[in-house]
Amino acid sequence: MMISDEQIMAYVDGELDARARADVEQAVASDPEIARRVARQRALREKLRSAFDDVLNEALPEHLVAAARNAPVASVSERRNVADLAQVRDKKAAPERVARRWSWPEWSAIAASVVLGAIIANLMWRSPSDLAPFSAKDGRLVAGATLAEALTQQLASTQPADALTRIGVSFRSRSGDYCRTFVTRAGGGLAGVACHRVDDWTLEALSRVEAGSAGTGTYSPAGSSLPAAVSQTVEEQIVGEPLDAAAEAAAQRSGWR
Amino acid sequence: MSRAVDLFRDEIIELLPRLRRFARTITRNPHDADDLVQVTVERALLKFGQWKDEARLESWMFGIMRNAWIDEVRARVRRDRVFAPAEAGENVGAHTSDQDAIALQSALARLPEEQRMAIGLVLVEGLSYKEAAEVLDVPIGTLTSRLARGREALAALLLEGER
Repeated sequence: MMISDEQIMAYVDGELDARARADVEQAVASDPEIARRVARQRALREKLRSAFDDVLNEALPEHLVAAARNAPVASVSERRNVADLAQVRDKKAAPERVARRWSWPEWSAIAASVVLGAIIANLMWRSPSDLAPFSAKDGRLVAGATLAEALTQQLASTQPADALTRIGVSFRSRSGDYCRTFVTRAGGGLAGVACHRVDDWTLEALSRVEAGSAGTGTYSPAGSSLPAAVSQTVEEQIVGEPLDAAAEAAAQRSGWR
Repeated sequence: MSRAVDLFRDEIIELLPRLRRFARTITRNPHDADDLVQVTVERALLKFGQWKDEARLESWMFGIMRNAWIDEVRARVRRDRVFAPAEAGENVGAHTSDQDAIALQSALARLPEEQRMAIGLVLVEGLSYKEAAEVLDVPIGTLTSRLARGREALAALLLEGER
């Protein structure tokens, strides 16, 4: 009986129904060549498993257990919500466009000077709520008072270099809202995108940033998905080009509406 | 809700060893692997409200991990920081002294991403074809052909290594 490689693999992977399994077993019993092929696939599977088994017995790194215990939870499932925060929208990669957009001095300075940590800052449960840079509201993550004030008042062109929160770029989003990127030292260092809706700044993306290794050229693969989370959010939502200084000032005067 | 969240957190902690293992099969080095696990755990918690009991938690989290890794690789490409597979492969065996394991891990590291994930899910993690296809968001036929090509490539690389 002819037994294909696919059948043998499916057999070894436990994917055959009883009848197909019996066929293979019969072939194994009567044809040493087929028996060898099955044995080879079994051996590969077993070797692979054992090659990676060590990790199961290693002590768990504490920071992973801590992340599972303490990282913030979002329980709402409406569209614009916390659960969307870290989702990188993978539809449009458009790498060249991204590269060009992020050549703005403001952002490239950020990108070059931070090493990005974990996706979300673990400060939500650490700081008293009135001091927290953001809080949950109606299933959204909104900027806290201090961050909101910076987002409302500050202009990228005039803000002090040592401001607690620095605004990056401002732009119109697909939903018609004004959105702004920011970096803040609050909460241990955060970067994100906030969009103005009604009375709040809703956080659309948020990343942890640390100034520690700034400028040393060190590269940490650790949170490198972070700038992507922020940049892809902008990339996804931006309509046209970012606001220039005059348009930014005009938007600020109109209360970001 | 908080009790449900606590249970969810406990289940995630129980899964950590397997999440770490799958992360190693796809990232090619232990440091990236644990970073990827952390991102996965954080994303999973942020998506808690979207978690439904229909799928097994591990499949759901493997899917989150896969997406996080795709994002990561994309980000690296964007920054021209892609590791050359061969170079990264040297990193893999760092945590084991078993020569066979090192050879296998290095061989796996040289496979294309999509084959590595298919093999990691089915051969290492023991998922069914159906579950693995769902995690990877591809039809079962695509999964099995990736598995077949990956296995052939692995076998060839291992033979080469023995010579």
